[in-house]
Amino acid sequence: MNAFGLIQFGLILLCTTTISSLRCNHLPLQQRKVIENSLQLLDKMGKKFPQQCLREKMSFRFPEQVLKPRQKETVKVAIEEIFQHIFSIFSKNLTLAAWDGTALEQFQNGLYQQIEQLEACVIKKQTHYFQSKEVNRLKLKKYFQKIDCFLKDKQHSLCSWEISRAEMRRCLQLIDKVIRKL
Amino acid sequence: GQTNLKSPQDVQVYVVNTNFTLRWNYTGNDTSVTFSAEYQWFEDFDSNAAEWQKLPGCQNVTGTECDVSSAITKYYNTNHVRVRAERREEVSPWSSIFEMIPYYIAQIGPPGIQLQSTNGVIKIKVSPPEANQVRKMWVNHLSFKYNLVIWENSSSAEFRTQRIFPTAIIDDLAPDTTYCLKVQATLRLMMKDGLFSPVRCVKTTRKVNNLHCATNVSVHALNMKFHLHWNNQYQQHMSYNVQYLIGYLKELHDDYSLKWLNVPGCENITDTQCNFSSVITTTGFYYLRVQAMSEYNKSCLSNEVKIEPLVTNEIGPPGVKVDISDLLLHIQISPPGGSESEFMRDNYDLSYRILYWKNSSNNEEEIQVKEIKQTIGTVSDLTPATWYCVKVQAFTEVYNKSSHYSKEECIKTPEGKILPLIILVTFVTALIAVLIVATPLGFVLYHAYNKIKYVFFPSCQPPLNMEGFGRHFFSPYLPATEEQIENCSVIEPIITEEVNKIDFKDYKHSKQSNRDSGNYSNDDDNSGSKVSEETLEKEIV
Repeated sequence: MNAFGLIQFGLILLCTTTISSLRCNHLPLQQRKVIENSLQLLDKMGKKFPQQCLREKMSFRFPEQVLKPRQKETVKVAIEEIFQHIFSIFSKNLTLAAWDGTALEQFQNGLYQQIEQLEACVIKKQTHYFQSKEVNRLKLKKYFQKIDCFLKDKQHSLCSWEISRAEMRRCLQLIDKVIRKL
Repeated sequence: GQTNLKSPQDVQVYVVNTNFTLRWNYTGNDTSVTFSAEYQWFEDFDSNAAEWQKLPGCQNVTGTECDVSSAITKYYNTNHVRVRAERREEVSPWSSIFEMIPYYIAQIGPPGIQLQSTNGVIKIKVSPPEANQVRKMWVNHLSFKYNLVIWENSSSAEFRTQRIFPTAIIDDLAPDTTYCLKVQATLRLMMKDGLFSPVRCVKTTRKVNNLHCATNVSVHALNMKFHLHWNNQYQQHMSYNVQYLIGYLKELHDDYSLKWLNVPGCENITDTQCNFSSVITTTGFYYLRVQAMSEYNKSCLSNEVKIEPLVTNEIGPPGVKVDISDLLLHIQISPPGGSESEFMRDNYDLSYRILYWKNSSNNEEEIQVKEIKQTIGTVSDLTPATWYCVKVQAFTEVYNKSSHYSKEECIKTPEGKILPLIILVTFVTALIAVLIVATPLGFVLYHAYNKIKYVFFPSCQPPLNMEGFGRHFFSPYLPATEEQIENCSVIEPIITEEVNKIDFKDYKHSKQSNRDSGNYSNDDDNSGSKVSEETLEKEIV
């Protein structure tokens, strides 16, 4: 990072230190609730997985080691990244999926609020995470890139959406397990 | 072969969005020197089996920089780049390798801005960097947050920085003034601030004051019941429409103004308050506004209020019931919220703070505090015959919220003196009870003992003239055995007949006394008597 970047970084750190220390206590509890609710809403927004889509099923291989690092903070940041990616995926063209709009909106709303709050809190502790060039973050990016490309290739068809939804469900369940242990 | 060419120095790659510019320095004699570059990328972070490839767009270039955007496509992988100088047949050694992961060194490009100046406010519509690009470095354009820097054109001094949504309205500006502004996109998690857009200047118009608008829009929420209140500055009758927006929609780049929905039950109302609990869910956040409509069909939108349900909501006081048993005070707490109590306890992780004190005439008693998580608490170590008062508060540590205190409940501990009295009374009662039970029991036992002794160990002996029968077990209760009775008849003269008669009489007597006369035996228990007869016979034998 150049000098200007360092100054900016310093300023941000200064400004956000006080803010983040006040607002972060309720996050773990809220995070658990968001995941619980998100799983329920994911189920609610569509019907059972259609049999005809089984042929198109793909293995995306979620990088589970991302959720197993030594530090608690790193896991929280990883979870925030995952939320951002999931939020981004479900903002795409969903017309062919024909899901329940209300459930989808609530799903996105819950994720987004959590992302906002986590961001404000995590910035303070972000330093070592960023500088260590976490390999895990890139693995996450590649995983979600695969899903993105899959959706694009299938032109956001119903089956591609159902497969993605099942994959996101699996992902959230993994996070749920990890969070309960934290 | 031998070469005098120096290799390039300070090889660097400068990245903005997906535009890669390779730069280097060359300190040697640069007449007719060209440069070529090579690159390699690694699939995994451990593998070494990558091959150097020629870097397209950077072969035989004359300057000290080249655009290699087309070649570098693996943004999340480690890439290596190196450059060397060439002159005719000579080639310099390869420069030191520049290693990079594009995603980490890339800079965020400037966003696009559209401005509109109306009614004294400036409306800004921001389009993200890489807006219409197919290949993106920043795939999650929704994770961008935008910073606006705005200042008055005339006074070059102060500028203001604020965070804005992709569709924003800046309304705290002076009318008829020229303002200049620029916007940058940032990725907070990555600690990256992007490049600023070019500066744009715009003049604000005159502001038309609309008295119709609802003012002082505020939210009051208690136990997950949400109420919106506002004021009406306009004298005449207005009807109101309360609208809500699902929070995250402001974050999208689409026009969210069409996505406002009416709150059911608060459409076309004349009251200046609205209960909008029906649209609220806990995970998520919302914006609310009031649309005021006058008789002339003029409508005006109030300011927006942001609602984060769990943060905005206040916790009400719990219910308290006290009970006393001996010197233990039992406190039963009913959680706040009524129908929503389970829900609130779940989302807030509620705990309870119990305050209790002795309510004596002098108010110098210390208030004691006890914090519990359950809804039943006990307090021990109480002094007898005193009034104790209790009040309880619900609180959540994680959200840093606490409710008001409940009503005070007072109760008196029982008298201490009573206790020894109770003990004495109990003792005496028990003693009397024992006596009442024990005395007749003693009598009964004594009687039984006598009877048994009389039956089994009789104290009186049979008379001497019945000596012959002494061997027999003589008992008035036990049946005698059936004995062989000899009918003896003595044939003797008349004088002796009388004697024989007497004998007979005696016999008869004895027969009578020997036999079981039937007065004492049990008629219904014949088998028993037969058994005893057998034992008697055995004894005789």
